[in-house]
Amino acid sequence: MADEEEDPTFEEENEEIGGGAEGGQGKRKRLFSKELRCMMCGFGDDQNPYTESVDILEDLVIEFITEMTHKAMSIGRQGRVQVEDIVFLIRKDPRKFARVKDLLTMNEELKRARKAFDEANYGS
Amino acid sequence: MDNARESPAGKGGETGESDETTAPPGVPGPADTDGIPEETDGDGDADSKEAAAEEGELKSQDVSDLTSVEREDSSLLTPAAKKLKLDTKEKKEKKQKVDEDEIQKMQILVSSFSEEQLNRYEMYRRSAFPKAAIKRLIQSITGTSVSQNVVIAMSGISKVFVGEVVEEALDVCEKWGEMPPLQPKHMREAVRRLKSKGQIPNSKHKKIIFF
Repeated sequence: MADEEEDPTFEEENEEIGGGAEGGQGKRKRLFSKELRCMMCGFGDDQNPYTESVDILEDLVIEFITEMTHKAMSIGRQGRVQVEDIVFLIRKDPRKFARVKDLLTMNEELKRARKAFDEANYGS
Repeated sequence: MDNARESPAGKGGETGESDETTAPPGVPGPADTDGIPEETDGDGDADSKEAAAEEGELKSQDVSDLTSVEREDSSLLTPAAKKLKLDTKEKKEKKQKVDEDEIQKMQILVSSFSEEQLNRYEMYRRSAFPKAAIKRLIQSITGTSVSQNVVIAMSGISKVFVGEVVEEALDVCEKWGEMPPLQPKHMREAVRRLKSKGQIPNSKHKKIIFF
């Protein structure tokens, strides 16, 4: 087992490199661990998904959002991200397109309902 | 989008609408501002049914308003324009019927779920990405502030994206004859498959067209 004596030094070096290079995917704090677990369970996975799978998914989601944001910044009004740009980028994917339309429509209706409710309260 | 525009006109019109205005309080009140945006993508079952039933009622009343107004004006339109109006009206009515059917079917389906299925369905509807974290992430990339609609759209799309990856990974898992929970190898194979379908955006690799 001479490997065991060699490996710790290698690991130390790797850890130092990992610690020195900030902003690497491994170094960032996990943003969506709790929510992603619920989501994976809702979409069909086990009640307790593996932490490594959740990590992989989180990296995927962050990369997805980053890509979409960069693309949206490059079309339409440069340097800004607007809803129209996102809708344009999504146009080929039927599921996502329908979902965005539903969400925005629902948001408008809820805003309207809230406003009417507030006005009714204010009037009385 | 058209239906959302019609509702104020409908509300102004009739006294029957007073029933509609009392229904919205079923939605959580203004103090609960964090709860409401999540409702847009993670409705509880009861709330979604209420909202959906509301939508159905609003739409059917608005259509009757439209048809009564337009019959007066239709004599002034050319035959081609009249035909267009009738076509769009019929399409709207058909679409509403389809929506109502779908709502009913969903209600029947959900009422016949087992406990585990109900649990899973609730997790599916209620899980959502935290708006604050998404907003922070997008703003750290753009450097400027973004509107709330962008955050809502992006969270919604990300959830659909997670769904696509997890479903593909479950397919892979089943195909390889293994059981959930999903392992990283399933996830990676799922990502590889989705990439070849073009579902995963990748702007890092420059495509060489001619060689």
